[in-house]
Amino acid sequence: MTGAWLLRRLVASVAIIFAVVTFIFILIHAAPGKPCAGQSENVDPAVCDQLNRQFGLDRPIPEQYWRYIVALVHGNLGYSVSLRRPVADAIVETIPFTLQLAGAALLLDFLLGLGLGIYQAGRVNRLPDVIIGNATLFIYSLPTFWLALLLLLIFGEKLGWFPVGGASDPVLCAVVDSLYCLKDRIWHLVLPAATLGLVGAAGTARFQRAAMLDVATQDYVRTARAKGLPERRVVLRHQLRNALLSFITRFGLAFPFLLTGAVLIETIFAWPGMGRLAFDAILTRDYSLVTATALVASTMVVGGNLLADILLGLADPRLRVRAGADVEALTA
Amino acid sequence: MLRRFHLTPIIVLAVAALAGCERRGGCTGPYCGTLIDAAVAEPATLLPPSTEDIVANDIGEQLFLKLADVGMSTNTVGDEDFQPLLAQKWEWDGPLTLVFHLDPRARWQDGQRVTAADVEFTFDAYTDSTVGSPFRPKLHRIASVTQRDSLTAVFRFKEKYPEMFYDAVYHMRVLPAHLLRSVPRDQWRTAPFGRQPVGDGPYRFVRWQAAQSIELVADSTFFLGRPGIRRLIWRITPNLQVAVQQVIAGEADVREQLVTPDNVERARAAQQLSLYPFRGSVYTYLDFNLRASDDTAKPHPIFADRTLRRALSMAVDRASLVKSALGDLGKVPPGPMSELLGIWDPDIRQVPYDSALAARILNGQGWRDHDGDGIRDKDGQPLAFHILVPTSSVLRRQYARLLQEQFRAIGVHVEIDELEPSVVSQRAATGKFDTVILSRQNDPSPSSGIAQSWTRAGFGGSNFGRYYSADFEQLVDRAVTATSRDQARALWRRAMETLNADAPGVFLYALQNVGAVHKRVENVQFRPDSWAALLRTWRIPPDRMIDRDRVER
Repeated sequence: MTGAWLLRRLVASVAIIFAVVTFIFILIHAAPGKPCAGQSENVDPAVCDQLNRQFGLDRPIPEQYWRYIVALVHGNLGYSVSLRRPVADAIVETIPFTLQLAGAALLLDFLLGLGLGIYQAGRVNRLPDVIIGNATLFIYSLPTFWLALLLLLIFGEKLGWFPVGGASDPVLCAVVDSLYCLKDRIWHLVLPAATLGLVGAAGTARFQRAAMLDVATQDYVRTARAKGLPERRVVLRHQLRNALLSFITRFGLAFPFLLTGAVLIETIFAWPGMGRLAFDAILTRDYSLVTATALVASTMVVGGNLLADILLGLADPRLRVRAGADVEALTA
Repeated sequence: MLRRFHLTPIIVLAVAALAGCERRGGCTGPYCGTLIDAAVAEPATLLPPSTEDIVANDIGEQLFLKLADVGMSTNTVGDEDFQPLLAQKWEWDGPLTLVFHLDPRARWQDGQRVTAADVEFTFDAYTDSTVGSPFRPKLHRIASVTQRDSLTAVFRFKEKYPEMFYDAVYHMRVLPAHLLRSVPRDQWRTAPFGRQPVGDGPYRFVRWQAAQSIELVADSTFFLGRPGIRRLIWRITPNLQVAVQQVIAGEADVREQLVTPDNVERARAAQQLSLYPFRGSVYTYLDFNLRASDDTAKPHPIFADRTLRRALSMAVDRASLVKSALGDLGKVPPGPMSELLGIWDPDIRQVPYDSALAARILNGQGWRDHDGDGIRDKDGQPLAFHILVPTSSVLRRQYARLLQEQFRAIGVHVEIDELEPSVVSQRAATGKFDTVILSRQNDPSPSSGIAQSWTRAGFGGSNFGRYYSADFEQLVDRAVTATSRDQARALWRRAMETLNADAPGVFLYALQNVGAVHKRVENVQFRPDSWAALLRTWRIPPDRMIDRDRVER
């Protein structure tokens, strides 16, 4: 891995993000439906027309696109028609909630998935492996929204163990300013994070089991065992370390899953994150907001994958050499 | 091993710290209490002339006063049933001049007095086309509003009619001129004031957390009496099901409309909730497009024909549909109206349900099943059309299927187009539909709503189906300007019967509202046109308070 490789990846990332923004801009403008009318047919079309004029939405699409790009280059994400406020303000307010949810889900996904995968690999084809294998397959095949509704019904409404929605208690913890409110936030986070995290963990466990089994037959693992190293050390030091490459790849792939999952989960659990913001923006045809959420989401996905590539390079010297060679070949 | 040794006590301490801490309330006495409403939408702004959002209106009731307001009867004729608010009293100075005397105790929450200049400024803003207020068309009969002195506002009308007082007070919430005068009118929709308003009502604005909650606190010095509940919170949820779930789980105290029988049953089963039925303000109908969907200059091949429309209306058993879809939560409307309107009368003449007669009429018109495929046709053209319905409404989607089945029974083929609400709105507004299932919210008065949806004044606006009848419009005009309540009622009845006979749509159901409120709340009153209008009189007795009622901040 070299500086030139990193630069090349960064340029490619910016190009991808630009392409996504352009594609989303064209797509949302081409979609039927107009801003303003939103979810009610009781809004007078004349009022909508006036609003659209005020926000420049009556102009030709190429002109709107040019204005949008110029504003974007100057760091302006535009104005939200449905929220009647700058898009940047809405994004800044909601993105921490999505990061909290995605972070918690990612933590659960990888800790649980990694643990289960390692545990299964150590007991291949024995009863625990079969039970966990079937359980993870079952959970992995569940639609996320269905699992969300199930958890909500059982642990929220019936048992009352967790809140049924929102990010905090609006009376006691309108803002997180104490340990009590931190606990309250975590409490509200449990069900949505569990929904996203469990499905992810089921997939990670299956990946990790396969990766562990792949390296289990390698010479260096056999050698380690032949040297008489304790099994725990063989697994953790020799087997797991090498099996982590697929784990890092999965880390990069987890971002799109978490962000797309967040759209549904945030809506079901009334979690005030960017996914719900994007969902509402699409329904109300809030062009600026839709494009901005796509911009942020694509940046996160591309950034996540770039991070995964860097981690892969750090973890596997062979990849570093290959990347360097690629660069040399390109610049020769 | 060493690492585990260090981590364990840290984790234990962190968990203990999180588990051990709690926040206790200290508020005692009769004016504590927190009421959380589970709202299903977030308003775009709280500046009253710039929004028709239902939640914004509910919050506006607490922040901005009207001069006077309708009473529980929701009678809009004359002034005898109106309750004074900002105006201490009023008098008529001739047939076209109404004089309001403001309560000298009224104050804006920044300490300034509420004056007649504010009233004058408010009318000017509401009627300014730059502001583009949705209430502007409802004020067109008021010629001017001026100030006689600092506490006297004078309204002059263009003509005499029974609802002059209603028009003067109902649509406008008085605004603080000293805070809004400097805001350019074309920026009112996005003005920061709309997210941090300063009002003169029983509650003050505290905070708005986007997509989470809006919080108000009682103004203990409110000139019409201290509100009974200290804190009001609108908890924003993404949809009705989440909102109902929050009330049932005890995380919210009020859900003002449960909408479906299933939700009502779930709320009834929750022991901490009381249910409050009240008259609904929404009616739903299948709107026939009388103009061709590809060219509004041409008549629609099916629905331009009055006889055919009547036959199709006769084929719909509206009473059975209401019974199966809504049970006791709905009624068959006797025209384009909700039960909120004083002109509601089940005896208004309507197109009867008679599928045999409908079939005979269709046969007589030449619409027969010539090719034996189960669908009537004429000159090779099948009797078929599309029903447009928004995906956001479970009830309307259910109704679309029931209608499809009822029409199928008389040999009419119906395709259902379930589309996003914004697409439905766009197609309805541009006339690109055969039929669409629409819901309309009524003001307490039929005057403005019916004119906007069913007369030529609504072409290009809310009269999506472009229904026009000279007789109907004449009757509406006479009803609006009738000199007495009885005369107006009789004229409205004739107008409705004229419209029903033309069958511009099938009036499917008028929802009966049922609200759910936590049992600890007393003195609960839902005014049918605006459930939150009397929130300041609700109370939570000290002996029934729960933890969140006592919280100090």
